[in-house]
Amino acid sequence: MAQLASALAIMIMGVLGCAAYFYGSNFLLDKLFPTKNRPYEQIARNLRTANMVRPWLFLGPAVLLLTFYLFYPVIDSFRLSFFDRTGDGFVGLSNYVWLFGSDEFFESFRNNMLWLIVVPTAATFFGLIIATMTDRIWWGNIAKSLIFMPMAISFIGASVIWKFIYDFRSGDDAQIGLLNAIVVFFGGEPQNWITIPFWNNFFLMIILVWIQTGFAMVILSAALRGIPDETIEAAVLDGANGVQIFFKIMVPQIWGTIAVVWTTITILVLKVFDIVLAMTNGQWDTQVLANQMFDWMFRGGGDFGRGAVVAIVIMVLVIPIMIWNIKRANAEMEGR
Amino acid sequence: MKKSILSMAIAMTLSATSASAADLVFKPGEDSRFHWENYEALKSTNLSGETISVFGPWMGDEKANFDRVIAYFEEATGAKVSYAGSDSFEQQIVIDAQAGSAPNVSVFPQPGLAADLAAKGFLTPLNDNVKDAVAKDYAAGQSWVDLATFKDSQGEKEFYGVFYRADLKSLVWYSPDNFADAGYDIPETMEELKALTKEIVADGGTPWCIGLGSGAATGWPATDWVEDMLLRTQPASVYDQWVTNEVKFDDPRIVGAIEEFGWFARNDEYVDGGAGAVSSTDFRDSPKGLFQSPPKCYLHRQASFIPAFFPEGTELGLDADFFYFPSYESKELGNPVLGAGTLVSITNDSKGARAFIDFIRSPIAHELWMAQTGFLSAHLGANPELYSSDAARKQGEILRYATTFRFDGSDLMPGKIGAGSFWTGMVDYTGGKEAKEVAKDIQKTWDALK
Repeated sequence: MAQLASALAIMIMGVLGCAAYFYGSNFLLDKLFPTKNRPYEQIARNLRTANMVRPWLFLGPAVLLLTFYLFYPVIDSFRLSFFDRTGDGFVGLSNYVWLFGSDEFFESFRNNMLWLIVVPTAATFFGLIIATMTDRIWWGNIAKSLIFMPMAISFIGASVIWKFIYDFRSGDDAQIGLLNAIVVFFGGEPQNWITIPFWNNFFLMIILVWIQTGFAMVILSAALRGIPDETIEAAVLDGANGVQIFFKIMVPQIWGTIAVVWTTITILVLKVFDIVLAMTNGQWDTQVLANQMFDWMFRGGGDFGRGAVVAIVIMVLVIPIMIWNIKRANAEMEGR
Repeated sequence: MKKSILSMAIAMTLSATSASAADLVFKPGEDSRFHWENYEALKSTNLSGETISVFGPWMGDEKANFDRVIAYFEEATGAKVSYAGSDSFEQQIVIDAQAGSAPNVSVFPQPGLAADLAAKGFLTPLNDNVKDAVAKDYAAGQSWVDLATFKDSQGEKEFYGVFYRADLKSLVWYSPDNFADAGYDIPETMEELKALTKEIVADGGTPWCIGLGSGAATGWPATDWVEDMLLRTQPASVYDQWVTNEVKFDDPRIVGAIEEFGWFARNDEYVDGGAGAVSSTDFRDSPKGLFQSPPKCYLHRQASFIPAFFPEGTELGLDADFFYFPSYESKELGNPVLGAGTLVSITNDSKGARAFIDFIRSPIAHELWMAQTGFLSAHLGANPELYSSDAARKQGEILRYATTFRFDGSDLMPGKIGAGSFWTGMVDYTGGKEAKEVAKDIQKTWDALK
């Protein structure tokens, strides 16, 4: 109750603060560069200066916060990666040497790669299929809402739900896990899904695919709507069948959107943490980079240097995808 | 309009924090067996308006019991104490300390973790008065002092905390009814325990329930097994050297102890759900198999705190009882006892925090939880008559008069081992990896720390 009230208070104060900043800065600009009852030339000059200053004033807080919350941590992580566990003694490259000799690192690296290949592919693929199919049926919007719903659930919340799906009860106990209930119904042996090495990675990935398919579907569905009817009609007149229309007419036209969806999910996957933490905590060979970083940083007293090294690896992996994504987005904008 | 909503929200915040009035379960002064003079003495400390934040590993019933103890401190001093529990305490406290937002007082389930934080300068040392009092008041007092003495950031040894609530680990829980129905006797030696295990299988039953699941701490129950087994197969000196890594983790003597645990846990016939279920069954759920009908298992090795997770209405001594996890008759190593305890330390110094530590080391704080359930104390001043059950009293006696008493080894090792690779290693081991490999992996992590 106390948290709820203080959260509410903070929300209200935050919104009021933003509004106050907006009005305040506009008011200040008007005062400094008046546009009323002045000679015509002065008004024009004042308008120009005010318009030049205004975006900086509005973007200012965001730029400042970004510097504090993004730029500074990156620099400091990089610095810490050359220091020992307390962050005090300089150790040179020895954290990096340790990292590349560590089995734990290669296990998480392999798992991260699996996640990177499977999740964006599956989510984009299912999203595209569902977007295409739901465009043609009368209850398409209902189906879309249902599929989009998981997007509203936090990763931890989703993990709790899926924990029940994978739940395992030993012996002759009634299976409360959905998956085992189905397996037992068809006469199979109940399995302890999340402890089966290697395959359990895929059971965890399904959770993220479940969440992200809705996102892919919504974006791709919008792109599909943007395809001019004429091109499709022309294809129909030329005698193309459904599959040909889909692959040869529709997909090439929304290729840019597919790429954006794909890379957005890829970046998200590189940060995957919550699901693994809640489901297995990296045990049974499901460790991923972000969890490894968290473990080294905070478990058992913490090791700043090694935690930072893993963080740097994650960042290095994200950078090329981000650059590509930004370039891609810029190219799209110029095309319009 | 906007103003009134804001002031309403602020008013709500204020009223919500002062709403929880203290309920005292035992009326002060009524039962003369309590040390009420400690409570009266507390009243001379006026802390009204002060808030003391306490963070620890206790949740659920344990939190409720602790909250009832705290209520007396609040009532007497006027301070507001807010206790929060988490089952990821090990990670959370490190984050909080490093972020500079540590609670005033932290309850460490692992002295090793406290030692790590002390070395980084996040703990506040206690003065010699407290240290002397602990040495005098506790059974085997000097060993409790030593367990709470760590190096600070300058490398100086300081005393950092008071043990509050001890656990006795070398216990096997069972249901007397089920034992009577099946005609089993309490085993007196490890040989008899192993014979009983085989006998239960021959009778078509499943002897053991073992669960290692514990959220982010999955694996720890197995470390207790291995420690108990090491104390029963090797002299205590080996145990002490193992804790400091003078005896390597992949030493054959340690691997032997792991395999002794495997004798029970890695045999599909010996454990409920088969060996595969051991690592994924939650340790809080696993004892419930004892009380099902027909029983899913007959035996459960777990520390003294486990009755907190028995089904509601289970009466100790009647529906559930325990016996000492026996030692080998053939080895002549005596009857060693494994135990543990939670260490209360100051992580964010304040007058209230100091007063709270003083309260925690006074007999009354121990008695108030003893008289509820699930609490053992090594405090000699606390009146053993106040234990809520004969079972607890029996455990309390084992703890008070222990000769070979060893503290949970994984809690004494560096956090990365004792709260990391040892846990993971045990999960791997029950999953089918060889003991030698597992031990080698753990030793590798230890080497990497140096």
